[in-house]
Amino acid sequence: MAIVTKRVSDEREAEEQNFNWVGTRAVRPDGVDKVTGRAKFGADLHLPNMLVGKMLRSPHAHARILSIDISSAEKLPGVKAIVTREDFSDLASEFVPAGEMMVNYRDITRNVMAREKVLYEGHALAAVAAVNAIVAREALALIQVDYEVLPHVLDVVEAMKPEAVLIQEDLLTDGADPPADKPSNIAKRVEFGHGDIETGFAKADVIVEREFNTRPVHQGYIEPHACVASVSEDGQAELWCSTQGHYVVRGHCARILGMDVAKLRVTASEIGGGFGGKTVVYLEPVALALSRKACQPVKMVMTREEVFKASGPASGANMRVKIGATRDGRITAGEAILHYQAGAFQGSPVPPGAQCAFAPYDLEHVRAVGFDVLVNRPKVAAYRAPGAPISEYAVESVVDEVAKKLNIDPIEFRLKNASREGTKASHGPKFGPIGLVETLEAAQAHDHYQSPLQPGQGRGVASGYWFNIGGQSSVTLNTSEDGTVALVVGTPDIGGSRASLGMMVAEELGVELDKVRPMIGDTSSLGYNFLTGGSRTTFATGKVAVDAARDLVSQLRERAAKIWDVPVGDILWHNGEALQKNGRGGPTETLSFRDLAESMGKTGGPLVGQASENVQGAAPSFGTHVVDVDVDRETGRVEILRYTVVQDAGKAIHPSYVEGQYQGGAVQGIGWALNEEYIYDSEGRLENAGFLDYRMPVCSDVPMIDTVIVEVPNPAHPYGVKGVGETPIVPPLAAISNAVANALGIRFSELPMSPPRVLAAIAAASSSK
Amino acid sequence: MQNARGRVRFLLGSQPTEVELADPNLTLLDYLRTHARLTGTKEGCAEGDCGACTVLIGEVHDQGLRYLPTNACIVLLGMVDNKQVLTVEHLGREKIHPVQQAMADQHGSQCGFCTPGFVMSLAGLQWAASCKNESTPVDRAQIDEYLAGNLCRCTGYGPIVSAAREACSAPLPESWQAHTAVAETTLRAWQNQGQPLCCTSDRGFFAAPRSRADLHTIMSDHPGATLLAGATDIGLWITKWGQRLSAVIYLGQIPELQRLVQNDEKLEIGAGVSLQDASTTLSEISPDLNRLLRRFGSRQVRNQGTVGGNIANGSPIGDLPPVLIALGARLRIASTGGVREIPLDTFFVDYGQQDLAPGEFVESVVIPLDRDLRFRCWKIAKRFDQDISAVLGAFAAKLEGGIVREVRICFGGMAATPKRARQCEAALTGQPLDHETLARARQALATDFDPITDMRASAHYRQRAAGNLLEKYFLAMTTTDLPDLYDEKTWPGLSNQSFANG
Repeated sequence: MAIVTKRVSDEREAEEQNFNWVGTRAVRPDGVDKVTGRAKFGADLHLPNMLVGKMLRSPHAHARILSIDISSAEKLPGVKAIVTREDFSDLASEFVPAGEMMVNYRDITRNVMAREKVLYEGHALAAVAAVNAIVAREALALIQVDYEVLPHVLDVVEAMKPEAVLIQEDLLTDGADPPADKPSNIAKRVEFGHGDIETGFAKADVIVEREFNTRPVHQGYIEPHACVASVSEDGQAELWCSTQGHYVVRGHCARILGMDVAKLRVTASEIGGGFGGKTVVYLEPVALALSRKACQPVKMVMTREEVFKASGPASGANMRVKIGATRDGRITAGEAILHYQAGAFQGSPVPPGAQCAFAPYDLEHVRAVGFDVLVNRPKVAAYRAPGAPISEYAVESVVDEVAKKLNIDPIEFRLKNASREGTKASHGPKFGPIGLVETLEAAQAHDHYQSPLQPGQGRGVASGYWFNIGGQSSVTLNTSEDGTVALVVGTPDIGGSRASLGMMVAEELGVELDKVRPMIGDTSSLGYNFLTGGSRTTFATGKVAVDAARDLVSQLRERAAKIWDVPVGDILWHNGEALQKNGRGGPTETLSFRDLAESMGKTGGPLVGQASENVQGAAPSFGTHVVDVDVDRETGRVEILRYTVVQDAGKAIHPSYVEGQYQGGAVQGIGWALNEEYIYDSEGRLENAGFLDYRMPVCSDVPMIDTVIVEVPNPAHPYGVKGVGETPIVPPLAAISNAVANALGIRFSELPMSPPRVLAAIAAASSSK
Repeated sequence: MQNARGRVRFLLGSQPTEVELADPNLTLLDYLRTHARLTGTKEGCAEGDCGACTVLIGEVHDQGLRYLPTNACIVLLGMVDNKQVLTVEHLGREKIHPVQQAMADQHGSQCGFCTPGFVMSLAGLQWAASCKNESTPVDRAQIDEYLAGNLCRCTGYGPIVSAAREACSAPLPESWQAHTAVAETTLRAWQNQGQPLCCTSDRGFFAAPRSRADLHTIMSDHPGATLLAGATDIGLWITKWGQRLSAVIYLGQIPELQRLVQNDEKLEIGAGVSLQDASTTLSEISPDLNRLLRRFGSRQVRNQGTVGGNIANGSPIGDLPPVLIALGARLRIASTGGVREIPLDTFFVDYGQQDLAPGEFVESVVIPLDRDLRFRCWKIAKRFDQDISAVLGAFAAKLEGGIVREVRICFGGMAATPKRARQCEAALTGQPLDHETLARARQALATDFDPITDMRASAHYRQRAAGNLLEKYFLAMTTTDLPDLYDEKTWPGLSNQSFANG
């Protein structure tokens, strides 16, 4: 573990020496609650008189719903409410942001409860609330549904063909040129780039063009979706749920149920992993609808099978990437054509996929075209840098092949072409102070990259990019009468943000860390907060928290000025104390935070620091990964021998949690590269909807992941923070594929590189020799 | 059954607890979360795959109480009768447990949902390590083994491994021994009362006979009852497939089924012996068996699952039957009429169909110990740990003057049952170990099986892997320094030779 800091100036360095908390590895405030089982997650709340809600789901991949008969189920003793499409009004098509992705209200209403058709196996079409789970399940079995089963399409290439069965009969491709006049499964076409790629390819000495296929993978959070809803007779409602954004949940649910937003209070439970997958609603509106009907609280919890079949995986994709370069190693042009599965409703992350594809490279001629394609699978949801791991896998694989053809070291080749401050990105913006070159140089200098390999082993390198976002956050600091502080934020803590936010506030206030208690407020306790996603929390909520702390400090200085009867301009705040500039105090030499808190009633009332902002200036984070693999030639199993993540954090507020993001993202990427995939049968039913057959890495699958934190500060954040959560999942797919190519001399263009696929490729290679 | 008790009785933490079992299907996890409101134990999959529900089950053993990490989601509540259940809430007594402290200090949680399960698995490891008399610190292989049944999606495992190292170098909490002594006294007193458990309700019954005689009685009274051993499969019938069992007979309290008897000629393993308990003895037969058992499910699954269950269940992908068949094992099947003994390979009639009549149960498996037998076995699965075999090959033969004799080759994952490769065996028998024999045997093997393509592997992959394993066995018979599947230095197999089994 190492931290490489590129400092902006000597002044900043001097400042950093004085940090009390920022940059330390304090134990998180929620640490003990989590190891003792006290932390309350989505399914842990139990209310008096609470019912259990269960969902009826489609066994078919594609079918028209002819009728739903709930009459027998309603008569079953213990059944308190049943809802179907009749209980949800249809909403007009309107796109709203959810993390880095967009969702459409017309589609959300149909995804939470099927209307005309069921569009994938597991699509919800009725829900029951009953006195217990057994009765609820019995009631589901009594609901009669008549289906007209329709042909289905799962493959993205098949779905784009003119003769493919239409999933939405009236869907015209947005962004098509010329405009689409016939419906198809292609929802959208996007294009990014500049220059003229044909001119660029004409200058190339070497051109490599390859086609790639990836499968959908699931975010794999260990906590299934869960919520408790309670609607009173007067229409006021409470919702407790596991989510990355309870304000977003509130907005979606209020819209879907036709409620006033303020009548619904949403409390975010502890969240047992999300990775983007808990930015949308599935159970929540249904639980509210059941509770409204039954006038009793309703708990709904997905089974693991439901999580796999009905909550968002990441897109599977088909891609073509072409890159040309001169003999001396300069890329002349790059082109990517991306076809992403959206699932049954439009909105795959193909736009960010296309934006990110060539971001690590300073290119004169570049073009990335993306197609958003409907298939009879669950609607995809965001998954950690949504879209980017897929497109960058293809690009970084081809980059590696070009470098090899030119006989140039892969890191050297990347350095020759790397994006730097001032580079015009393929998707438009000019990069500010970015750290790609620094990550490449740190990777090159790392002991890992310098160490020898054993025969048969292979080493791979890849870089990755994610743009990160800012957005709306609102923070309150409530001062207690003893000088301790409640830090209330509205962005759920998914990976240690309570620690990093608390540290920044303690730093600003100059108090001990344990005097600041960070917590997540419910939707009525703060102004609006966008969700935890886009790697925005430590950056955006962090900036707002710092501003709230500064607001509090300015009030503390005013109170001290009042007590000492001097102008506020004469008061300094240092190490948690007010003192006068001239060094002379009033009756006392200094006034501590505690002194001022104790007397706040007499000096002007409660001391509350506040800030609410729409934070701009999110800076992208680049990373470079190095991985060594061995391949068992008899079984096709790829073993990860050594893995190093190098990534720019801007500034690591809590280095252990930055490293935690690097390590966790890399291991998710390892799973994606080697073993994870959705496997469907010929009827369009998911065969491996469980952790036994959907293979995520366990402890023995991975080495200790080594990390290097590079710090190239973001000028838009008081401490220089860049978001770090998403970039770590981007490079692994290509890094591992490149390592396998070096180990075996076989280049894979399909994921996952599971043992059967690898063994088949080894067999094919040896038989063709 | 005479004098049966109608309520399940166990120690919940240190609290003696009795529960009216209104539903024989009630799982320990549902009891903990819904009835006892101990929500620290999490449900992540309800299939025994993720380990978020891991608890420690304390049970009376030869030298005292032993603590076994177990998946509460697929343990039925009746199975913990006369045992102790420790959840994450019970660990920190006066102050938090060293494992909890280490997990907090090393930043072993991100979201924290899997954390209670990891804490309990590591508490099991720390307890086991503390029972060991040596002072060598736990190594990565032992940590991997104890954590194979726990999924974490946030951390990439590194901080958890660090926490494991830190915690296992700390002594058990001072209060642990005192609490254990009290618990042991209670559990021994309960056991000595000798009353079997029989909970009846309008949803059915759950019975735990304490002798073979009681078992015969209750089986003849309820011929349709489900015989339950470790519940690593039957638990899923309930949690995953939604079945409601109305009559359950639990075999885990019958001493006759828990025996493990070994002499010079044979090893007899009672059907109720857990896979973990059997592993030490089985590992003595061959280091391959040690490695296989290391990869059998996970620690939690091995603590629960039984040898008898893995056989009687009849799954084509059970890992023990091919091995036992290659070793020439025989099965002892009991009923009120007595005991019959059959060769194990004849037990598997067809998919889901075993040679087991109503009223019969598997009592034990008898493995002949033949030192001249050259035995090897290999498991091929996509993942090292906790994975179902795509192919499992078990090979046994004798060599007389370079000629192959008495050969038994059995595969799992290649047919609807564990099945011997008879053509291949015939091609080998009486032949020298040379290239021609291998070629003929490989050809014969291809005619022995017509495997299926499924999500775990294609038919082609299975055939190819099976052929490769045969070749590997051939090499193993003829060379001494054979590189193995999964480097043996990296994967030393079960770490329990010296500790943690008792």
